[in-house]
Amino acid sequence: MNIRKNTEAERLNFWEKLYLPEIAKGMGITFRQMFKPKFTRQYPEEVWIPTGSYRGRPVLVNEDDGERCIACGLCSRVCPALAIEVQAAETEREKERYPVKFEINMLRCIYCGFCEEVCPEEAIVMSKDYDLVFTSQEEAILGKDKLLVHISKLQDRLEFLRQYK
Amino acid sequence: MDIIWTLLEALIKAVVILTLILLFAAALGVWAERKISAWIQNRIGPNRVGPFGLLQPFADVFKLFMKEDLIPKAADKTFHRIAPIITLGIAISVYAVIPFAGDVQIGDKVYHMGIAPDLNIGILFVLALTSVGVYGITLAGWSSNNKYSLLGGLRSSAQMISYELSMGLALVGVLLIAGSLSLNDIVGKQDVIWRWNVIFQPLGFILFLVSSFAETNRTPFDLPEAEPELVGGYNTEYSGMKFGMFFLAEYANMATASAIMVLLYFGGWQLPIPAEWLGLQQGSISLAIVQFLNFMLKIALFVFFFIWVRWTVPRFRYDQLMNLGWKVLLPLALLNVLLTAIGIWILK
Amino acid sequence: MPHIYIDDKLIEAQPNKTIIEVAFENGIDIPHFCWHPELTVAGNCRMCLVEVGMPKRLPNGTIAVDSSGKPEISYFPKLQIACATPVSEGMHVRTKSEAAINAQEAVMEFLLINHPLDCPICDEAGQCKLQEYAFNHSKGMSRFIETKNHKPKRQSWGPNVLFDAERCISCSRCIRFAKEIAHQDVLTFVQRGDHVTIELFENKEFDSPYSMNVIDICPVGALTSKDFRFKSRVWDMSFNDSICPGCARGCNTKIGVRNNEILRIEPRPNPYVNKFWMCDYGRLTQYDFVNNNRITDPFIKIEGNHQKVTLDEACSEAANRLKQFNPHQIMFVGSAKATNEDNYILAKFAKLLNVKNLDFIKSIDENFQDDLLRCADKTPNSIGAIEVGIKPDTHSVKIEQLSEKIASGDIQALLVMEENFEEYTEIFKNLSELKLLIILGYNHSNLSSLADVILPASTYAEIEGTYVNINRRVQHFTPAVVTSENLRFMGMKMSRLDKFGAFNDRWTQHQLRNSRQSWKIIQKIANNLNAGWSFRNSHDVFLEITHNIASFKGMTYELLDEFQGLVLGKAEKPDPKVRNYESHYMKPN
Repeated sequence: MNIRKNTEAERLNFWEKLYLPEIAKGMGITFRQMFKPKFTRQYPEEVWIPTGSYRGRPVLVNEDDGERCIACGLCSRVCPALAIEVQAAETEREKERYPVKFEINMLRCIYCGFCEEVCPEEAIVMSKDYDLVFTSQEEAILGKDKLLVHISKLQDRLEFLRQYK
Repeated sequence: MDIIWTLLEALIKAVVILTLILLFAAALGVWAERKISAWIQNRIGPNRVGPFGLLQPFADVFKLFMKEDLIPKAADKTFHRIAPIITLGIAISVYAVIPFAGDVQIGDKVYHMGIAPDLNIGILFVLALTSVGVYGITLAGWSSNNKYSLLGGLRSSAQMISYELSMGLALVGVLLIAGSLSLNDIVGKQDVIWRWNVIFQPLGFILFLVSSFAETNRTPFDLPEAEPELVGGYNTEYSGMKFGMFFLAEYANMATASAIMVLLYFGGWQLPIPAEWLGLQQGSISLAIVQFLNFMLKIALFVFFFIWVRWTVPRFRYDQLMNLGWKVLLPLALLNVLLTAIGIWILK
Repeated sequence: MPHIYIDDKLIEAQPNKTIIEVAFENGIDIPHFCWHPELTVAGNCRMCLVEVGMPKRLPNGTIAVDSSGKPEISYFPKLQIACATPVSEGMHVRTKSEAAINAQEAVMEFLLINHPLDCPICDEAGQCKLQEYAFNHSKGMSRFIETKNHKPKRQSWGPNVLFDAERCISCSRCIRFAKEIAHQDVLTFVQRGDHVTIELFENKEFDSPYSMNVIDICPVGALTSKDFRFKSRVWDMSFNDSICPGCARGCNTKIGVRNNEILRIEPRPNPYVNKFWMCDYGRLTQYDFVNNNRITDPFIKIEGNHQKVTLDEACSEAANRLKQFNPHQIMFVGSAKATNEDNYILAKFAKLLNVKNLDFIKSIDENFQDDLLRCADKTPNSIGAIEVGIKPDTHSVKIEQLSEKIASGDIQALLVMEENFEEYTEIFKNLSELKLLIILGYNHSNLSSLADVILPASTYAEIEGTYVNINRRVQHFTPAVVTSENLRFMGMKMSRLDKFGAFNDRWTQHQLRNSRQSWKIIQKIANNLNAGWSFRNSHDVFLEITHNIASFKGMTYELLDEFQGLVLGKAEKPDPKVRNYESHYMKPN
């Protein structure tokens, strides 16, 4: 027989085995907690500004001469929730490929940051946006117009990536 | 003519009481749950909608009404729709037999302070209805055609059937003392604090308390909706107001269970001291109001207790639940019946 | 028959073969870039370096033996390339010794010196031989710190092929293919050293009908398809086996699908049909009619307008109206584009109704024929159609007479399966004389606009069935594109995105067509006329074909797959099975 005895249960004394006194003790603890000071932040008034290590909504880095993304599709491949769709097309620029369509379905996104980690161009990074509100399923699918953010607004995250990635 | 008047009276009472129960007991229950859980966890809790967030439950219900109502493709549509109605309907129906205060005499007419005219088998009716309640949950689990829902539904039926036994047997002690199945009679016998049944039936009360936690699917016996294992249990596939109905039913059930415990063991609407000491006359309206408030206060205390337990005690494992029900509570309930019977026999 | 040892495994080799060939046939893969079984040996990539040795001979002519009695082997100090070293008796080859592995790693480091790191841009990524070997046969680091050479990108070689000189590793496979297989000797190396690149001869274009095969054999992304360029990453597509319906050759293909849309077609090796090749015509023209302009639902013409109906309604309408004609007033037109299964059921249906007028359209184009793969017969299954019974007898109406017979009123009802009379345009002037025109078609066309009943037929990419090619070889193929009919069956054969998409994902919003395999539609019509047929799938139909038609005897789908096709009447004498060479391909996830 490959059964291990629950030795912990054997160590309990009679009153503990009765269970009820222990519950009463626990309830005493929780009751006392009710009167302790609270730690809630009053959110819309007191806005929390995350640090560079925070993984908010993924965004595409936009430089002065255009987006960094070359539509390699690695973010789409690595995404465990299949949130990203990329459609590449050809451009005249030196890097001959660009995303004609880049969509992130924020209903699917789980903010894991794999897309950022796998990106060979550091073109998709996690931003600090965390209060996302959508009123329809279609609206939650963000296209390039909503995803492209100028690089000057992403310096914290890029600095964090340089140090720790 | 008499019949029509009786029916009309019952209808008016039903409307008043159901509105009170639904709008206030359930809504307040939800609000209290959130507030108390917040306090226990050193948070503030709802504080945006209305004073102290008191209107939060109404905002929630409004939100639930606005939500998309999804029915899974593979679900049995009819039963999927019926299940929440059964659950909430049953939870509400129990109030039909609960007396909220002593009888009031106006002129020479005696008014009974409950929906149904004094039912002489009140407690049986309550037991019968709570047993039917399990159908709602089992049907919800089965008709969703989802493994988590089905498991939740199965657990709930097994659990409710198991604990109904000990609950029923724990009651027998009270019935032996009162010698009646009528809730009015049971309450009438407990006219002062030292004649409350809890004093004669401490074991019975504890058994009944534990069983009613299981019957209402509240922590530590909330296995049918155990989130970590079963996603949402029987209500996984429900959304919108159908989910809201299950949600309301849970709080209505909690209030019912509290009311019954108060009625059976804590003197119901009876004041702890004889009414005469306060200078109130039996059958007067003012006494009825005091009794009603007294009853509500007692219920509120029990609801608070339910919530307090939920945020203290972790969930049982399924085998532990079954062990407790069949191997501990049931023998103890039988023992309680035996001891009570012997006690009554000796005193007689 | 020389006996050689490769990695201490004794192999009986055929004489005059090279080490790499013998190793490949025996399941040992020696890394290589420039070697290809169908091309001459160039020996310029140096990737297949192996240690080769012979038993040591003493001055008296006997073989030296070590203390345990085994012959002593003396390995050549310099490694040999396996692709150009013929085997000889007693030869010992070590492909995984330290020296061989060092040599492979050195070659990889050398090749990667000037190879750009633009895998994220390159279409080959995911099915690239260089990527694969960088994983398996490389140290993963480079000592090269100088700037890489830059060469011109995006050079057009012809109508279908684009060349990126930077990515080229100078294996010369494309040069040899153009010269030896396509017989269009227009490519050559120019420059020396790390400036070496491939150029077209002056004023020449690489426009051979087989030009796109160089894209497949190119081990890197130097050659890309103008048609496919950047359409999709290979790992987002599903590749399912199929047969090209472009001509009677029946080249074996793989169909690349994403979002339920065919994005490209590439050849699949079959030594008895198409070796490793297929023509550009097949690649570029055989998917548009699957993707676009499809008939997706059944229609019935009511008072001159086509109205969408359910399949059951359309089939019972067809059956009820067919009943009103005498068998000799009806003609069934089968199709050489349809499978044997479809044609067989049509012939069976004709027998049921006692319809004798049964024929199909042959489409012969002598200009299309060449001596490599293309055939004059531009339909995939004309031999099969005749074989399963789509042929007129001496008294019945032939397809050539159809137009005039309609005009004369002898034929009043016409059922056309998977055909749109593109090459038979003179018929259109008489079609309006018909009292009933039922079509089972893929695309909206001039014919479908005239039809009384339109039934949506599935294309070759959506069905399971068999074709008989020009050499009478029966070949089996399975679906690559999903329809509402085969959705459940396809399941894990779909690409990742198609498999896991939900209704609110935009990438799954492409058309899911409500089309059916032709024989299923005909069975439905026949069952409306109390035929009582109960074929559940193509297997059932093929089983009946093998029972009833002698030349198919002994065949099953499993055998057809196992032997890559069987010749009609020779099911019990299949061609020998060989190990198929695939240079590099997308490995399933």
